[in-house]
Amino acid sequence: MMNSELWLAQIQFYLSLGFMSLFLVTELGLAWVLLFFKIGAHRSAGAAWTAAYRFWVRVFALAFILTFASSMPVLIQFGSLWPSLMNRIGEIAGPLLAAAIFSTFIFKSCFLGAMLFGHRHLSERVHTFIVFMVAVGVTISALWLVILQSWMQTPAGGSISDGQYRVTDWTGVIFNPSVGWYAGLLMLTSVLTVAFLLAGVSAIQSLHRPVGEGERLVFRTALIMGVTGVILQGLVGAGAGQALAPHQPAKAAATAAYWHSDSKPELLVFAWPDSATKSNRAAVALPYEASRWLGRDARGAPRGLDQFSGMSPPVAVTFWSFRIAVYIWILMAVVSVVSFFRARRHQFDPGGLSRGWRWILTGMTFSGWAMCLAGMSHTFFGLYPYAVNGTVTISEISGNVQGDVLLGGIVVHVLFYLVFLAGFFQLLGHIERYGVVPVARRRGRA
Amino acid sequence: MIGSLAASLGFSANDPSFWMPLVFMGLFFAIIVAGTVLDGFDIGVGCLALIAPRDLSPRMLSLLSPWRDANEFWLFLGMGLFVAAFPNAWGSIMGRLYIPLCVLGLGVLLRSVSFELRLRAPVEMQSRWLTGFGVGSVMTALAHGFLLGELVVTYQTQPSYLWFSFFVGACVLAAYCLIGAAWLIMREGGELRARAVMWGRHAVRWTAAGSVGVSVVLAFANAGIFLKWSDGPQWPVVVALWVAILICFVSIEMCLQRMINQSYRTTALPFMLTLVIFLITLGGLGYSFFPYLVLDNITIWDAAASVSSLRLVLSATIIALPVALIFNIWVYRGMFGLSKPLTPPEYKP
Repeated sequence: MMNSELWLAQIQFYLSLGFMSLFLVTELGLAWVLLFFKIGAHRSAGAAWTAAYRFWVRVFALAFILTFASSMPVLIQFGSLWPSLMNRIGEIAGPLLAAAIFSTFIFKSCFLGAMLFGHRHLSERVHTFIVFMVAVGVTISALWLVILQSWMQTPAGGSISDGQYRVTDWTGVIFNPSVGWYAGLLMLTSVLTVAFLLAGVSAIQSLHRPVGEGERLVFRTALIMGVTGVILQGLVGAGAGQALAPHQPAKAAATAAYWHSDSKPELLVFAWPDSATKSNRAAVALPYEASRWLGRDARGAPRGLDQFSGMSPPVAVTFWSFRIAVYIWILMAVVSVVSFFRARRHQFDPGGLSRGWRWILTGMTFSGWAMCLAGMSHTFFGLYPYAVNGTVTISEISGNVQGDVLLGGIVVHVLFYLVFLAGFFQLLGHIERYGVVPVARRRGRA
Repeated sequence: MIGSLAASLGFSANDPSFWMPLVFMGLFFAIIVAGTVLDGFDIGVGCLALIAPRDLSPRMLSLLSPWRDANEFWLFLGMGLFVAAFPNAWGSIMGRLYIPLCVLGLGVLLRSVSFELRLRAPVEMQSRWLTGFGVGSVMTALAHGFLLGELVVTYQTQPSYLWFSFFVGACVLAAYCLIGAAWLIMREGGELRARAVMWGRHAVRWTAAGSVGVSVVLAFANAGIFLKWSDGPQWPVVVALWVAILICFVSIEMCLQRMINQSYRTTALPFMLTLVIFLITLGGLGYSFFPYLVLDNITIWDAAASVSSLRLVLSATIIALPVALIFNIWVYRGMFGLSKPLTPPEYKP
């Protein structure tokens, strides 16, 4: 495939994967938050926690169906855009994909129907247990995908012989060097996504009318989740950057826009990397030591982009996707901490905050999605030109679809995704304003 | 027979690298049959909902709702099993079919999302999501047919083969509409049944054309398959199958014709006959393809992953299989006969 066709194929695949991930992080966080609401309903009298549960289970159901449905184009494009990939890594990706699909099947078929439509038929304890099982199932399915994705970033436990990967050690494959970091980043991204979603919706509800006890509890949960989430996300993000730099030195060098190995590495807050002149324009740097974020060579000196003979990711995309994620994190940190301390004075009633601040919170509702997309761009585009780090390149696994066909495919996919996003936002706006009307589905009766 | 098959490939019959791909092929075929029939009536009702009158189409989708979550999973299961058990054929098959696979993926996505969003949408938006469900069903049906056509002629790209694939696409759309209409006849009376009879009558001819066309082209486009069917002791079976298909089509036609003029009683006959036709056609396709995944090119043993990997997938399948069987039996047992109405929830003081 030509270079531009390769890029179009990548853009299409990551577009679909990104759309699926938006709703994956939402459903992952919401599943655990719903369990928290149900446990709260058990522990306290009154219907406030149950009201919170009933509102947010609607959003969870929408996110679940959108994740599940949009995983079909991802699976299909996995085969039609990258046909030779399974020839190379089939031994490893096959069982992992099977595990993900089967665990989704088991937990979805056994528990999701009862959770969404069986509340009135089951006792409270049984229903809470089912909510717990759904949360466990969503987490397990997501973790299998994280294992596969992190294995492609740091392949371990396998050996490649005449083009095909063979497994030497499944423990090494599953517990590869980056799985913990990527799993932690995914979990914390979903915590932050859901925290700001909850806070934003509660804020806009309070702008329309005085909120009830349920919304107040939701707002409190959201702010506590937000504050703890940003602290942990900062720690895990920093740890991941330093821990993965030795495994992915080209990505680390591109993230730092460290062009020449003999120059001093800088922590750049803002710059425009120019690959033609191999320099950074308008660079604004922090006066701190940057070499721990970079991969080292045999003598311990940091490796710049000139050491990879062209097998390095696109610098501008890698550089900026990482920084956009960090800027969003900083914004989230400021907003969540300030909101927490301001709302604390009003017992977490969102109506106690000023109208301007509540509009800010509303504007931040989908900041978790932006952080998820920025992080995923950094993860995936930073691996270029490899599909599996260090061994399998993207150009060798790609098929031969024409460029204009790919472009048409991208346009059509974007149109469909915009329609579904519009539908999701419209429903969210509707229930925010008018509340939730339960829907019924009976097994075997119509 | 199994022993001779194993010996001809150079394996012993107890060798896991022989029987494990066979087991997965059997499972994959079972999923294809179940998915075609069960997702088939779902797709068919969706396609028909586009041409149904406004007051009937919401009822049609409500009839589907008890089985929606089970129906949507078959394609997923099939693809997942295929990618896990036969990774070396995955790329060869899917890499050449970008456009029809795009249409399939987007159609399935549109169907799933439209159904669930319609259920939860305010009344003003529900008709739009219903149209979306119908459009998604049509896209899915056309994509299924196109993929079947491409598979049968082994991805030839000449224009005449392209027209054949479009033809098979239209016929598969008609086949799904037939099974959907037959299912509706069985489920609900009144105006819906009368209309379903009309839809079924229009669909039967195209379904028959497609069924015959696919079988004939498969036999003539591939000499190996022609030999497999025409060799030796097969003749009575082949004749019996063609006669059975003919009888089924004629019976469906007669039953529907009668229902237009005489009675609107509930009858499972068209649905059962359509099931038989589907089973015979799919069985014939499966027998023709075995043991190839890509005709004359890749067999299931070429495409299968290594034994250790297959062992893992098999253990996952063994865990999932009882869940799948119990769940599907529990879900689908109310699928036949008249639809049972909803009952109001019990009052709990």
